[in-house]
Amino acid sequence: MVSQQELIREARENGMELLPLEKDTYELFFGPQHMATENYSLILKMDGNRVVKAIANPGFLHRGFEKLAEYRPWYTNIALLLRICVPEPDVPEAIYSMAVDELMGWEIPERAQWIRTTVLEMARVSAYLFWTMGMAFKLGVYTAGQWAAAYRERFMVLFEQLTGARVYHIYTIPGGVRRDIPGDKWLRQLKDTVEYLKDKLKDFDNVLFENYITFKRLEGIGVMDKKFALEEGVTGPNLRAAGVRTDVRKLDPYLLYPELEFEVPVLREGDALARALIRRFELEQDLYILEQLLEMGLPSGPYKVEHAGFKALPRFKVPAGDAYAHVESSKGDFGAYVVSDGGNKPYRVQIRGPSIAHGIRVIEQLLVGARLADVPVILVSLDNCPPDIDR
Amino acid sequence: MNLEKEQMIVETILQKAPYAEGKVRRERRIEFRIPPDRIRDFLTLLKENNFESMMQITAVDWLKDGEIELVYQMWSYTHAIHAFVKTRIPRDVDKARAPSVRDIYPVAETYERDAHEFYKVTFEGNDKLEMPWILEDEDREAGVSHRKDFDMLGYVKKKYKLLDRFEEDKENYVI
Repeated sequence: MVSQQELIREARENGMELLPLEKDTYELFFGPQHMATENYSLILKMDGNRVVKAIANPGFLHRGFEKLAEYRPWYTNIALLLRICVPEPDVPEAIYSMAVDELMGWEIPERAQWIRTTVLEMARVSAYLFWTMGMAFKLGVYTAGQWAAAYRERFMVLFEQLTGARVYHIYTIPGGVRRDIPGDKWLRQLKDTVEYLKDKLKDFDNVLFENYITFKRLEGIGVMDKKFALEEGVTGPNLRAAGVRTDVRKLDPYLLYPELEFEVPVLREGDALARALIRRFELEQDLYILEQLLEMGLPSGPYKVEHAGFKALPRFKVPAGDAYAHVESSKGDFGAYVVSDGGNKPYRVQIRGPSIAHGIRVIEQLLVGARLADVPVILVSLDNCPPDIDR
Repeated sequence: MNLEKEQMIVETILQKAPYAEGKVRRERRIEFRIPPDRIRDFLTLLKENNFESMMQITAVDWLKDGEIELVYQMWSYTHAIHAFVKTRIPRDVDKARAPSVRDIYPVAETYERDAHEFYKVTFEGNDKLEMPWILEDEDREAGVSHRKDFDMLGYVKKKYKLLDRFEEDKENYVI
């Protein structure tokens, strides 16, 4: 048995520093290799099995998108900014396009609005399925996770037919969308997929959301109250799980949402279970919205605005000014602030991802006192998405 | 378009804050301009007027004016209104200082760390500014920032030992 002193000495000789151990307290680097953290790391000060202090350590995904956007023409930025949110890339496209639309003073044709709304809702559904996969895997309910991944695949195929790409669609552009709907066959396929998934929700309930394991693992951990959530800038499903009835689609309606009917689910508990159940209810609402959109039918007309600047996109100019646009993504309030000085490139683009609030201060405070085994579950219950912290 | 609600809120706030300038931008968007020494007073006032949540602090580098514009993006769940609170501070690194608002909106701490890292704005009263944030130590020491006068292309070429594929004075040169 090697003594502690010897270990410390040996580490020093090899250029490392072992922190002094007092009883069971130790420092644990959680991530970035850990599955739950997704290229993001937490430094945990542990006392036995309990977290004493957590320090968020982001920056593994920093690619300087906001700076790069200042060097590129307006339309080229779409292919860049969507990489900020990996599971839901349509959201950064949509907010950037909406902000540019506002600067240009464009009214988007109805057909383009319909397509954008549908794409955003499809993105939400597939992001929730992706989240379900993550959550189920963390809880050890692998069957439900694999189902979710398989059903998400159906949406990926639909996206591929619509946009030509599976993950990064580069589809929503300022002024409308890049291509028209491929045809009635695609709409029928979307309808079938929505109906299919609706049937399968019951299976998810049986296996995951009404499962004894889920309740046992999630109930009462990572609790936040309403005041805390508002002050810490928590948005989206996490805020609704803490008892605030709010939704950007209702409060600051955009695209076709004023014409659509849907409910905003709210729970009061504010724990990980409430956050999981809220996402389950929202998935149902999103499928309902997609059904309504399909029932409404694709409006006729052009799918993007007519503008002389489209002939030479590198020289396309946007009038000076600034605009802020935000949408309700599956993770929360996703916003873009775009400043133009009248040139052919943006002067400043700032993307506000929900995780910059959830992933730093909120997680640091929620983790205090949690068991080590609950750390990944709390992280996933917040639906933390590190790329939008790092940008 | 009915802008009564927005007008009323702007008027109520301006009455209590005569140092500010305010206007209604459009439905659900209002804008205020304030002097930098009144940031704390003004944000306290906004919080009392049901602007519950701070969404972001954006720093915009206006190189020609020699100023950095801080835009506090505020969102009110009660009124469903987004408020831009704009203030301008000098651009020089020593003088780019603003008071921290993290005791009013705790989440501001994170945004201030972000603005400090990329725009070298010092927020007085925030002791977490020097903690490691997104950039690596090497980049931080080299003075990497998102300011307009930082030669990003030159730095990237030097760091990653890139060869020039295009001539730099070419007109449509993008990285």
